[in-house]
Formats: sequence, structure tokens, C-alpha cells
Amino acid sequence: MFSMTRRNFLLSSAAGATVGFGPELKAFAQDAVLKVGVVHQGPIAENGWEAFHARAWRALEAKSGGKVKVTVLDNVQQAQDAERVFRQLASQGHQLVIGTTFSQYATLRKLAPTLPKTRFECCAGIATLANLGVYEARSYEGTYLTGIAAGKMTKSNVLGWVGAFPVPQVIYGLNAFMLGARSVNPKVACKLIWANAWSDPAKEKDAINALVAQGADVLSGSPNTPVQGLAAEEKGVWSIGSSGDFSGFVKNKQLASFELDWTSAYAEAAQGVIDGKWKAESKWRGLGPNGFVRMTTQNAALPAEVRALMAEKEKAIVEGKFHPFAGEIKDQSGKVRIAAGAKMPDAELRGIDWLVEGVQGQLPRT
Amino acid sequence: MKVKLERRAEPSQIMQYLSPLIAVGLTALTGLCMFIAMGKDPASAFYVFTVQPIENLYGVGELLIKASPLILIALGLAVGFRANVWNIGAEGQLTVGVIFSGAVALLCGSQGGFWVLPAMLIAGAFGGMVWAAIPAFLRTRFNANEILTSLMLTYVAQLWLSYLIYGPWRDPAGFNFPQSEPLASSAMFPILIEGTRLNASVLITLAAAVLTWFVLKRSFVGYQLQVAGLSEAAARYAGFSHRRAVWIGMLAGGVAAGIAGVGEIAGPLGQLFPTASPGYGFAAIIVAFLGRLQPIGIVLGGLLISLLYLSGEAAQMTLNLPSAITGLFQGVLLFFLLGADVLINYRVRMISETPVLKRVVA
Amino acid sequence: METLSAILIATLVAGTPLVFAALGELVTERSGVLNLGVEGMMLFGAVTAFAVTYTTHNLWLGVFVAAFAGAALSAVFAFLTLTLNANQVASGLALAIFGAGASAFLGKPYVGVALTHEPFEFAGWVSGIPVIGSFLVQLHPLVYLSWAMFGGVVWFLYRTRAGLVLRAVGESPTSAHSVGYPVNTVRLYAVLFGGAMAGIAGAYLAVVYTSLWTEGMTAGRGWIALALVVFATWRPERVLLGAYLFGGVTTTQLFAQGAGIPVPPEMMSALPYLATIVVLVLISRNPTLVQLNAPAPLGKLFHGEG
Repeated sequence: MFSMTRRNFLLSSAAGATVGFGPELKAFAQDAVLKVGVVHQGPIAENGWEAFHARAWRALEAKSGGKVKVTVLDNVQQAQDAERVFRQLASQGHQLVIGTTFSQYATLRKLAPTLPKTRFECCAGIATLANLGVYEARSYEGTYLTGIAAGKMTKSNVLGWVGAFPVPQVIYGLNAFMLGARSVNPKVACKLIWANAWSDPAKEKDAINALVAQGADVLSGSPNTPVQGLAAEEKGVWSIGSSGDFSGFVKNKQLASFELDWTSAYAEAAQGVIDGKWKAESKWRGLGPNGFVRMTTQNAALPAEVRALMAEKEKAIVEGKFHPFAGEIKDQSGKVRIAAGAKMPDAELRGIDWLVEGVQGQLPRT
Repeated sequence: MKVKLERRAEPSQIMQYLSPLIAVGLTALTGLCMFIAMGKDPASAFYVFTVQPIENLYGVGELLIKASPLILIALGLAVGFRANVWNIGAEGQLTVGVIFSGAVALLCGSQGGFWVLPAMLIAGAFGGMVWAAIPAFLRTRFNANEILTSLMLTYVAQLWLSYLIYGPWRDPAGFNFPQSEPLASSAMFPILIEGTRLNASVLITLAAAVLTWFVLKRSFVGYQLQVAGLSEAAARYAGFSHRRAVWIGMLAGGVAAGIAGVGEIAGPLGQLFPTASPGYGFAAIIVAFLGRLQPIGIVLGGLLISLLYLSGEAAQMTLNLPSAITGLFQGVLLFFLLGADVLINYRVRMISETPVLKRVVA
Repeated sequence: METLSAILIATLVAGTPLVFAALGELVTERSGVLNLGVEGMMLFGAVTAFAVTYTTHNLWLGVFVAAFAGAALSAVFAFLTLTLNANQVASGLALAIFGAGASAFLGKPYVGVALTHEPFEFAGWVSGIPVIGSFLVQLHPLVYLSWAMFGGVVWFLYRTRAGLVLRAVGESPTSAHSVGYPVNTVRLYAVLFGGAMAGIAGAYLAVVYTSLWTEGMTAGRGWIALALVVFATWRPERVLLGAYLFGGVTTTQLFAQGAGIPVPPEMMSALPYLATIVVLVLISRNPTLVQLNAPAPLGKLFHGEG
């Protein structure tokens, strides 16, 4: 069965979690099969945002020994349709329904109170409700570490970032990348281009080329496909597999990478429902065991000292001794946003709308 | 033996009703063949596609609120299509309707009051009308093809909405997610049936269907439009203004699309997102054709297309079919419809090579 | 200088799919047929090219088959509009919707898969050409093919009898028919050519430029190509210019962002569409200009039996 996660779950419950199913949630029958519903906004691919979720629910189903059956819908792009789909999953006996992206959060927030017998989880949501939990990855921990690699390996002292849309997840990832790079190389700057499309590979390639032409020699961003890494490799510059390891495609010039790993989120939620102990939590995890961020391949050309530095910082982050957004941090205009000795609180991080010093680019004006 | 198309003396009445049915039948047949080829049981697949989405009250409500914008826009477009005015930009007009009514909702919604929703409707209708007025103006004044101008404006409208939602209209309490504040309750349509999402906007669509029927069938304006569409020269001779036909044709579609946009944000969406509609403006064109540009046909056609959307989701949930199936079926349906339509105006004749005396068709 | 050359190359590359698709649609529209389904044909060509190249490891075969795929899809359109006299607008839309759906459906196994064909290498002597050699090798042969197609279309339309016939059919089908030109046959070939070119345009995106297949990856370029034909007032040389202008808008916007110049991206993205409207108005207001430029009965059907 779920031996591994069960043990971990029991360990974390022993840390003082109260038994938490409220009077509304039905207890789960032990010998029944748990039906889990998952809704993707985009099409499921081999790599990228949707792929990480797909890996998690596939692992869930595979390791459950038949106790869990997952129903999946993808390409549900509009909020109106998402609401109907979530509701129908709930009404068709799916006791656990999982949303996979921030744009479903508003819908689930509206829906969850009307379906008190179902448990919901939403990726990249903000606040919980009685039957709605949220889970999100501290991807900034991963981008910080890759930023160290970038800062060390850049020769032009110009980095590049191709973002899809200016949403907070992408922004704090970018900021951490910059902070990580500057921690080892104070002179480095980062140019920023918004592609303004989730899925337009040709445009992403154009953006990479534009950044390279303007001097960037390490490229990062929020890629969902290998196109950015491949474009960078064509021009002979480094790319970072940021929230995606494309080393299978980008054979030589992917410097470092990390992936998102939602396995424990899905597994814990399902186990919680099966044990009758599910409660709505806000899980915002990064590196470390049962975390949602996993550092993956590093290029052979990365020097040992850089690897050691990255490993050291990773350990410090996991042990809670280091926070990438610890002061003093200034924004683009030079104003001090986080004072020395302070850390950026989670709430502020979640909704961040400014860029750190050294980033050359814009955010849309509110 | 040669197959020849021979123009009928008069469009066949029977075929007018029969051809959509033929198209639906052929599409269903194609679907069944596909299911068999993919190893799915055709009977259960058929059930999933036709019955499952509407087997409970919630499903019926969903069918209706998804059909409502399709029908409403198609009614407006049909007015234009009959007059040979091709408004392809309904999606953009819907978007501008969302922008205008969204502005009203965001500015005044928190103040409450029964006047908020009507104000939004007026604003949305006005927005859609303005956006359709541009191609109408360009056509009547400069003779610019309205197909292309209305299409281009669709993209401009979508970019405008995206700019607003990522920028000035972003919810300050929304952690900088690209969405507006949720609309206040005074800015939302009331729900008609408890437990569904069916809201009062369907009543507007119903009223529009009746109104359109009346205008097209019974009023002089409807007659004028029809003549203007059939022959510009005849219309001019009879004193009907072609320009007026263009204006009425375009604006009808624009107003309808604008109101449909209000229906979305004051209904199932409840707030503004960077995109407001899953392509209703384009799907409505299919609905208009499917419905033979007649109000009753459009209502039925709208329900069918709406069912296709819901079927696609049900197919994913129950049959593990891929999400692309919906677009595939919609395209196939339209192809068959266009093909079957030929039988309205033309008769299929088999001609043998050797010359024979041909009977003269009276 | 380096940046300028990079911008130039990026513009040429961004414009190439537009050149192919728009030249094809230009020929179609010159014969008097409006095919709105360009986006669907491009996507269909893209997925076909990807599938074939992936399986055979041969890029040129992929492009070739994509041309056929685009033409095959346009043949359905031709059958509906030319043989069955169906409405061109609705048929074109149906094509666009079907092409998008079919390509997404067929492309499922290829999402996130990488192509492993040999990248194209110019023969050594090309880079040795003085002045422009190093520049030439940076562009894929398909870009040069697009220029060749431009030359071919110009030559065909204005220097051959067949081209004259095509233009005549587009200007006034009834007169052409009465003179004895086979209107529907000419239009069929024009539509097929348009389909083939759209297929190649899609193939370029999926197989040459990005080596990836993603659902909907043409991202509206088919609709831009439609706008481009009008913007170019149905003249091939203006199509070429316009394609690079439109491509240049995107490129400029990206470079400007990278340089830190605050350009609202939505504004720049809207420019090509607004520009097209302006041009359309300018050429339409003067009846003589219209006569000289636009194929008269665009979108209206023609029936041979009269």
C-alpha cells in the first residue's frame, strides 16, 4: 500500500496535527476505491506545468494498489467550464477533487462551500476554506540555486529571463534568480522579456534570440517546452531548466535545472481522505523531503566549487537556516523593500508585484 | 454515368428542414465509426455524448446557460447574414461588451441597488454596438469589406481586455493574479433554479428569440432586409436602403454579442478574466447556419452545439477521450451541414453518357 | 551592428510563415475565393510535418507531405464551395475549426517529443561568400524558398497566360466564363495552391523553427496572413514587405522589452490589425483603386450553369 507516505504522514501527524474532519465531511469507507478528479487547464505534455501534475497523479494511481482511481480532464481553459467540470466530478462520486493552477482558485473558492461533502485541493491557491486546501511550490528556492550557477558561469554579466505572463509565481522566481546570481556576482544584471503567451514556441524562441543578441549568456524563465533551451543552445549560450528539466533535449548547454514534484501533495491528500483524517491545509513547500521542488541535472561543465556552493545553500534552505528573500533587498528603483535581518513574509511573497534591483524590465502598471 | 447538380426552380422546403438533420446524422455516424476505430463501445459512447450531460437538473441548467449566449449572438448575426452583411467579429463585440459592462460593475457594484444590473446591460449592449458600428461605418462610407474589418477588430478587443486585466483592473486584493475583483451581488443575474447556474439572462435570450421572429417574419424591416440581401439593385429600385441594411445587420449582431458578454460576467464567471468567452462569437456563426438563419432553428442549433461542448467534457471524464474531440466534431458537423445544404437549392441528377431526351422540369 | 543584424534575421524568420501563408491566400483570393481557413490548414500542415519528420527523420519529406496535407484540407473547402456552392465564409470557418481540432487530436502522441533529424548545414563554400556569406548561412533554406515562391507567384500572375486567366477569373467570373475560361477549375487550383502554401507555413513553424509540436502553436498567424493579403492590396511584393513589417512588429516589441524600453506589449501586438484596417479603408474608398486592386466578388459564389 502506501507504506512510505503513510509513515511520513503518521510522523507529521505526531507532530501535533489535530484530527481534522469537520462534521460535514463524510468518513471514507475503508474497502472502497477512492475516486480522485483532476482538472488541467492546458493540454498534458511530456514536460512542463501540466506534466508535473500528470506525473503526480499517475504515481498516485500506480502506487495505490488499486485503492485510488483518478479521473482526468485536460484543456479546460475557461473558468465557466472549469466550474461545471469540478462540480460534475464532485457529483459523480469523486471524494477528492484537485485543481492544478492558480486560475482555478477563484472558481474553487466559489464552489467548495456549496459542496461540503467533497474535499478540494487547489494548486497555487491562496487561503484555505473548510474543505479547500491549497498547495504551492516555493519554486523561488530552486531559482535561487540556479541563480548561483548562472551568476558564476556568466561571462558577459548579463542574464536573461523569458516569462510567460507577469503573475506572482513567475515574478518571485525571477527575483530569487537575480538574488542568487548577485549573491556570487554583484555586477550581474538580468534582462526580462514577457512573451505574453503560455504556448507560442516560435515567439519564445524569438524572445531568447532577442536576449542573446542583447548580450545575455545565461537564459532562464518559465519554460513549458524545450524550445527556450534549444534556442539558447543554438546560439551557444547556457540555459537553465527552470521548473523543468530539458536535458534530454538540450544535450550540452543546460546549466542546471529543477523540477516541481507534486507527488507528496497528491499522495498526502489522498491518504488523508482514505484515513478520514484529511484537513484543509496550506502547503507551501520547496526543497527537501516531501517537498515540491527538486533540483535535477547539472551540467558536467559546472565546476565543483559551484556545485558545492549550491549544495551547501540547498542544505541551509532545507534546514531553515537560510531564506532567499532575507534582507536587505532593494527594488529596481533602489528603495529598500526588505530591511537587513528581516525575511519577506509569505503573504507578501505570494502577491509580489515588484522586481529586485538589477532586473531590466517592466511589470504592467496597476 | 455522371453526377450533375441541377438548380431547382425553387428552394426545396423539405430540404431546408431535412439538411440539418442529415448533417447531424452524418456527424453521429462519423463519430460512431471513430469510436469503433478507437476501441470504445459505440452504444455507451453514444449515451455519454447525448444523454449523460443532461441527465440531471444541474446538467440541464448547464446546457441552457451555455446555449443562451450562442443563441443570442446567433440571432443577432442572423439578422445581418440574411441581408448579406457578414459580421465575423462577434467575439470581439462580446469582449467590448464585457469591458463596458465590467467598467460599470467595478465602479458602481459596491454601491448596490437594483439599477446596477440594467446599467450593465445597457453598457454592454452599447459596447458591442460601438464595436460593430466601426465595421458598419467603414463599409457604408468606404466600402471596406466587413468580414475583414470585424475580424481584425476581434483581436484588438481581446488585447484591450488583456491589457486591462493584467493592468489597471487587476484586483488589489487578489495577490496580483490577473483577474478583476469579484462582481458584487447587485451586479449579478439572479439564479432561476436553485442548485443550478441557470440565471435570468436566459430570459433575455428567450425574449430576443421572440423579438427576432417577429421582426423577421412580420415586420416590414425584416422584409426589407431580406430583399436587400437578395439583390442590391432590387432593393434600391424598391427604395430600400442598402446602407440601412448594413447598419441594422451589423448593430444587431453587436448588441446581441455585447449582452451575451454581460451574461457571462454577471453569470457563470462572476468576475473578469483576460479572456471572457470560449469562442462563443465564432461558434454562434455555426449556430446561425445550423439554424438556417431562423429563430426556431437557431434555438435548436444552439442547444445542439451547447450539448457538443458538454459532451466533450463528459467524454473525457467517462470515456477517456481526448479534449480535442469537441473541436473535431464541431468542424465535421459544419462541413456536413454545408454539404447537405446544397440539396436545398440543387437537385442531384444522374446523367448517362449517351444522349437521351431529357424531360423538361416544369 | 550585431544587434541590428540579429533584429534583421529575427524579422526575416518571423515573417517567413506569413510569407508562405499569405502568398498562398493571395493566389486564392485573386481567383475570387475567400478562404478563411488558413489557420486550420497551417496547424494541419504543422502536425503533419512534425509527424512525418519524426518518423522518417527527413525534414524535407515532412515539409513536402505537409504541403499535401494543407492542399488536401483545402480540397474539402474547394469541394464545398466550388462544387456544392456552399457559403465561402462558413466553409472557411469550418475549415479553421476542423483544422485546429484535427491537428490537436492527431498531435497528441507528439506533444513534448523532440525531433532528431540532422540539422541543415550549408555547404562550406557558402559562408565563404564575401560580405553576405556569414549572413546567408544563418537563414534556413525555407526562407530562401519563400523568396523563390514570391518570385514564382509574381512571374506566374503577371507573366504567364495562366496567371492572366486566373486574374481575369477573379476580376469578373461571369465575363471569364463567357469567354470560355474554366472558372471553377482555375479556382480549384488556386485554392489547392493556397492550401499547400499554408501547409508549408505550418511546417516551417513546427519542424524548422522550433522542432516542437504544441496544440495551437500557430497562435493566430493564419488570421494575420489573411489580414496581410488585404494589407498588401493583393499584390505579392507588398505581401513580402508586409510580412516582414508584421513580423518586425513582434520582433521589435521583444527587443524593446529586452532593452528596457517600456512598450505596452498589447499595444504593439494590436498594431498589425489596426494597420490592416487602415489600409483596407484607404484602398476601398476609391472605386478605381478597388477595381485595380481587389478581386471584385470576393466571397460571393459563382455558378457555371449561369
